[in-house]
Amino acid sequence: MAQVTLNAPAPEFSLADLTGKTVNLSDFRGKTNVLLVFNRGFM
Amino acid sequence: MAQLRQDFAEFEKRQTTILVIGPDNAAAFLKYWQENSLPFIGLPDPEHIVLKSYGQQINLFKFGRMPAQVLVDKNGTARFVHYGHDMTDIPKNSEMLALIDSL
Repeated sequence: MAQVTLNAPAPEFSLADLTGKTVNLSDFRGKTNVLLVFNRGFM
Repeated sequence: MAQLRQDFAEFEKRQTTILVIGPDNAAAFLKYWQENSLPFIGLPDPEHIVLKSYGQQINLFKFGRMPAQVLVDKNGTARFVHYGHDMTDIPKNSEMLALIDSL
């Protein structure tokens, strides 16, 4: 299974948020750090 | 999630955006966000596209997926990766904040 490599570019992605707005990881480049939290589900 | 909400201002102060990605659909996300008044961005990923590309491990012997966290700096570089070994294996906020301070 693919895993993230440390000190290498984080894989780009594009997903719709709760309001339907598209969020790309690259939207934050040069602006803020990003903490990605992978949730296991709300059950 | 509650732990993260508690220190949300500390992450904001350090110019760090929190994105929560999970396998639930948008309706489940919305319900959870409303019930818990979460301030961060929620990204439903029911097709597991990002979950797979980032390699969130699926533990075949326990129900559910393990938590994982990735810190990406302003240049788009992954600076910290944590793959949880069980449901409670989540880095402490203080560790994450110290790490952000060290970037």
